[in-house]
Amino acid sequence: MELTIITPERKVFSGEAESVNLPGVEGRFQILNNHAAMICALGDGELRVKSGNEQLKFQIKSGIVEVVKNKISVLTEGVIE
Amino acid sequence: MPANLKEVRGRIASVNSTIQITKAMKMVSAAKFKRATDRIIQIRPYSTQLSSVLSNIAGSLQGDVSISYAQQRPVKRILIVLITSDKGLCGGFNANNIKAVKTLLANDYKEFVEKKSVDLLCIGKKGNDAFKSTKMYINTEFLGLFAKLNFEETAKAAQYIMDAFNSGDYDQVDVVYGQFRNAAVQIATKEQFLPIQFEVSTSKTNADYAFEPGKEQLLEELVPKILKTQFFRYLLDSNASEHGARMTAMDKASENANELLRELKLSYNRARQAAITTELTEIVSGAAALSAG
Repeated sequence: MELTIITPERKVFSGEAESVNLPGVEGRFQILNNHAAMICALGDGELRVKSGNEQLKFQIKSGIVEVVKNKISVLTEGVIE
Repeated sequence: MPANLKEVRGRIASVNSTIQITKAMKMVSAAKFKRATDRIIQIRPYSTQLSSVLSNIAGSLQGDVSISYAQQRPVKRILIVLITSDKGLCGGFNANNIKAVKTLLANDYKEFVEKKSVDLLCIGKKGNDAFKSTKMYINTEFLGLFAKLNFEETAKAAQYIMDAFNSGDYDQVDVVYGQFRNAAVQIATKEQFLPIQFEVSTSKTNADYAFEPGKEQLLEELVPKILKTQFFRYLLDSNASEHGARMTAMDKASENANELLRELKLSYNRARQAAITTELTEIVSGAAALSAG
């Protein structure tokens, strides 16, 4: 599935991902392939991406995630890599 | 005419150094302008995605939702946010924005001015300079925002304004800024910042979304983000406009200085030639007088 992480100042990440672990406002959750469409608010915390053998981590500062048809867009106000 | 010659030479030197300055400023502005327009392009994916999320939520909502930032109240107090630059030498850019506010105060908001219920929040020194001699209250909390223009700082300013609206200090917030079209065209624009006006397009709700937490809470999260992004866009626009305006102004200034230089050189050469001619005439007539005598 396709993951993009964008902030108002730049595009932080764009690429393939197998699993994404997100800090939701009501607890952490994971998104895998063929996830149902959803919109969810995110709190401050760590966003973990698994793509292939790579494991990426981003510290995000609150945001919104939209999942639709294997496209995940994370909109966050700031990212510390 | 040696005195005149010297004078003209002095002016040529001074115009030359002016050209150097205006050319350098033009180059610097061109670089800054490029960076400023890049930032406008960078923010686009974020803001379009945000509004698409908003319309997805709003499209699946039934009935009205009360969002505090969209609350329409009878307008008693107004805040005008005036965005100008910190530095001058950018043509009519600042003057146009200041004029737009003055027209607004003299016409649309005349009653409010009489009742002293219009306040001004200036971002950028030039706006403050123009209004500080008036009796209006000017909020200078975020005057130097352009010194370090990033989303974090801008979001603080936006939050401050949103809080002032929510607590009932103001019932309407307008923003006056130089909207960016291209390097040569900036339009002094007034936009209503708060209460936020929704343009909900119910046309595309292609997917059946799950919402977490509820739709109302999501909207409460989303709307401030949209407002902050919008505010950031005003500043980025204004920033790009400023550098564009300065670039154009400095280009014109260099052009004019070159023209001036051409004229000065012409008059210098004329004066020099005239001096030589006079001297020759004097020598020839002197020699003629000697040989005659």
